[in-house]
Amino acid sequence: METLVITAVILCTYFMCAARRITTLVRGFAMQSFFLFAYALLRALTENSVELYVVAGLLFALKVIAIPYSLDRICVKIRVNDNLGLFMNTQLSLILALAFTYCSWIFSKMIVPVQDPGMAVALTASFTVVMAGLFIMVFRMKAVTQTVGLLVMENGIFLLGSSIAGGLPFFVEIAVFMDVFVSVIILNIFVYRINKLFTHIDVAKLTRLKG
Amino acid sequence: MKIMMLVLQFLFLVLAAPLICGIIARVKNNLRMRKGAPVLQPYYNIVKLLSKDEVVSSTASWVFRIAPAVVLSSSMAALALVPAVIAGNSANLAGDLLAVLFIFALGRFFLALAGIDTGSAFGGMGSSREMFIASFAEPCASLAIFSLFLRSGSTNPEMLGIPGPVQVSTVFAALCLIMVIIAETSRLPIDNQETHLELTMVHEAMVLEYSGSSLAFIEAGSYIKQIVWFGILAHIVMPSAVSASSGLVPVIGSAALFGGKVLGLAVCVAFLEVFIAKMRLFRVQDYFGFAGILGLFAVISSLMGI
Repeated sequence: METLVITAVILCTYFMCAARRITTLVRGFAMQSFFLFAYALLRALTENSVELYVVAGLLFALKVIAIPYSLDRICVKIRVNDNLGLFMNTQLSLILALAFTYCSWIFSKMIVPVQDPGMAVALTASFTVVMAGLFIMVFRMKAVTQTVGLLVMENGIFLLGSSIAGGLPFFVEIAVFMDVFVSVIILNIFVYRINKLFTHIDVAKLTRLKG
Repeated sequence: MKIMMLVLQFLFLVLAAPLICGIIARVKNNLRMRKGAPVLQPYYNIVKLLSKDEVVSSTASWVFRIAPAVVLSSSMAALALVPAVIAGNSANLAGDLLAVLFIFALGRFFLALAGIDTGSAFGGMGSSREMFIASFAEPCASLAIFSLFLRSGSTNPEMLGIPGPVQVSTVFAALCLIMVIIAETSRLPIDNQETHLELTMVHEAMVLEYSGSSLAFIEAGSYIKQIVWFGILAHIVMPSAVSASSGLVPVIGSAALFGGKVLGLAVCVAFLEVFIAKMRLFRVQDYFGFAGILGLFAVISSLMGI
């Protein structure tokens, strides 16, 4: 069951790499976070600890509802609903994402004991998600996508922490959530200001000075 | 005994094939708050077409005349190779799932030639589109099937499904196959069976020149092709074939289960068709790009052993 949820997270990551619109990307992020929430809930059920329930609930409230909502709102406000400014087309992105998965599988087979295939799968998934987040940040040329890429990387780290280390300490989780929430707010303000100043949010064109 | 049951199963599936199409059409119509044609409408169509005269263009060659027979017989040959109710189907006959793919390719090849043969503009357009779609659909289907071959270590169709807890590779191979099946049975995001609008039709454009019993053959061939694909998918997701020697009650139970699985798939396809809009022809490669990624991921996950 946990393996299925983890592969659903990977599937959402592929979906995000294939997305052509910002709204699709945000919806993909919400879905990925939802499956992450399901994973956290499963962990909480097996370990029966209140702290994990709280973490799962926070994850749901923040990453499934609040952050996608605020990203959607900023998109509506600055009226960029067209395309992502793809730097690499969807087919190539998907193949690259798959290559990430395969490489992480090879890597995690090296460092994880063979007796525990579930852990290797979780490690593979988290590396894939982190690398896909980096990929989205680098190869998608709209300022909003940088935010989403950062959030995807954070999701990957959360998956890594909760699967390999058996969950980070409770206060660290809470602090990370607050961090993420604040950074999303700040980045949204940034995007809004960039749009005000440059009348676009294409980061490929931000090198030109404007005085 | 076993041979007789296999023959019975074959005949039963051939006869039941149009029913699936009728059910899908009925479910779609009911979802759209329409009354819809009766479930048995495909049978009425075939009977009506068989009793009608045939018009063949004077420029048509022998390819045009034999293509319906090739399409129908290739679909039937494929049906004989896939597991449905009774196990041991493909072990008796020489052929694995790859053979099924290539048998379908043979039928499609002749149909595409027949589309070009009469020299009508629609036929050529339909053929070219069909081959364009098939050139994507076949590798995707192969990928999904290879991932299952990797897992079972055999190309026998009966070894594809693994009973027990759900495997990740099964899920992804099944998702990939659903996308392929939607294209292969000319269903909605790729093609639309209900319309004869010249801009959008693919399969209908190809068979536009056919009439009478030839058209009945081609339609029967596509119904059988659909039930073959549904059967393969149902077997992968939930294998339920029993051996012929296990007695009458398990065989009847397995037949009921098979019918239920295929019916469930048909209803799912009908729901999908109602909620999805037709895709632009040159977005098809994106659709299959995603299907191919799912297939490749199925391969990787079966390498992972999950």
